[in-house]
Amino acid sequence: MNYLSDSLVAAVALILSFDREVQLAVWTSLYTACVAIVIAAAFGIPVGLWLGLRRFPGRRVLITLLNTLMAMPTVVIGLMLFGLFSRQGPLGEFGLLFTPVAMIAGQTVLAIPIVANYVLACVKGADHRVIDTARTLGATHFQASVQLIREIRFGVMAALIAGFGRVIGEVGVAMMLGGNIRGSTRTMTTAIALETSKGEFVFGLSLGLVLLCVALIVNLFLNMLQQR
Amino acid sequence: MEPVVCLKHIVFSRGVFRLSVEYLELFPRRVYALTGANGAGKSTLLKIMALLVEPQRGIVRFPGSTTRDPDQLRKKVTYVEQSPYLFQGTVSDNLAYGLRLRGVAREEQARRITLTLSIVGLEGFELRQAKELSSGETQKVALARALVLKPDLLLLDEPTANIDGNSQPAFEGLLARLPKYGVTVVFSTHDRFQAERVGAELLCIHDGQLQCQPIAACLRI
Repeated sequence: MNYLSDSLVAAVALILSFDREVQLAVWTSLYTACVAIVIAAAFGIPVGLWLGLRRFPGRRVLITLLNTLMAMPTVVIGLMLFGLFSRQGPLGEFGLLFTPVAMIAGQTVLAIPIVANYVLACVKGADHRVIDTARTLGATHFQASVQLIREIRFGVMAALIAGFGRVIGEVGVAMMLGGNIRGSTRTMTTAIALETSKGEFVFGLSLGLVLLCVALIVNLFLNMLQQR
Repeated sequence: MEPVVCLKHIVFSRGVFRLSVEYLELFPRRVYALTGANGAGKSTLLKIMALLVEPQRGIVRFPGSTTRDPDQLRKKVTYVEQSPYLFQGTVSDNLAYGLRLRGVAREEQARRITLTLSIVGLEGFELRQAKELSSGETQKVALARALVLKPDLLLLDEPTANIDGNSQPAFEGLLARLPKYGVTVVFSTHDRFQAERVGAELLCIHDGQLQCQPIAACLRI
């Protein structure tokens, strides 16, 4: 018991001392997750809107595929993109493997189905008169869709936060595509895995605490939005 | 006098329902009442005139307009549903929506919003939250949101359906006054006497057929 409590005190002390290693891992996690979620929003929101508003053959199949992608293990996404970015892969010549770019690509692939599914659920639950009302007031289809996003903005923000929460806490993609390179692609999750395996439990625990704080803030924000 | 809108050889069908209008033309600054039973096709005809529903056959023309782009033409017509939807935000936000789409300057928006709210009897409602209004107030805001755009043609689907009996005479008086603001009004109703009270010209629709209309034909289109 002393071991755990002593480790916890040491971990808090490490965070408060603004340890450089901790800072770097936190920074890499936050910036890759933020960039990934912005790109995922650019693709996921239109996909969710499209599936929610349009009726076409094969729509059900696409929704099922999207649900399946949501449950896809992160290591499988990492494995597929590893094949794409590895030296022998189709994008191998760009030398992206084990760079933050590869990590962001993997995290984006991970987040898009989450964002799209949340937005789809919001569109399905939205008042069907929004689009028609905007159209009667002179809006084009695009302008009416923008108005719909405004009406469901809290749901869309919840989608982005859920996607962010998934991305920042994942380890498979970051490990396989980032390679856990110190100061470059080492995130909080990969650092926890590595340092703990090396016996640096206090360091791992300090990053775990930071990650818990991020998860707590994200969930508090999500709850606040859902209550609105 | 040039009509605001002309309909010719319109046929619209969905399942067993069929709507047909051989000829119809509506003239500026008049009020028309579209009467008929439930399911007769009143709402569908209004939506066709609003360019929200495309008929399988026939043409809808706005003789005063040079463009044939539906997105541009739709800016000359506004349609208010029987149970209108107000966007989240204030009453002012709702009225400003269509004005912003038309590129109206901010000062002009504020001036027109204040004026239009006073026309519908909602002075001082600018900052009220739209979602907190009663159904009668919602109906009036929806009317104001359409009227503020100064449309050539204003289409109202059962505008008094959500208004209590005590407030109906005032609302009918408002409908009768609307042509004074340069707008042609078509409203649907079950009540022929309401059409008389408003002083509207009658358009009767029965089983999807336009039976009587003020102008026999518009062969010019």
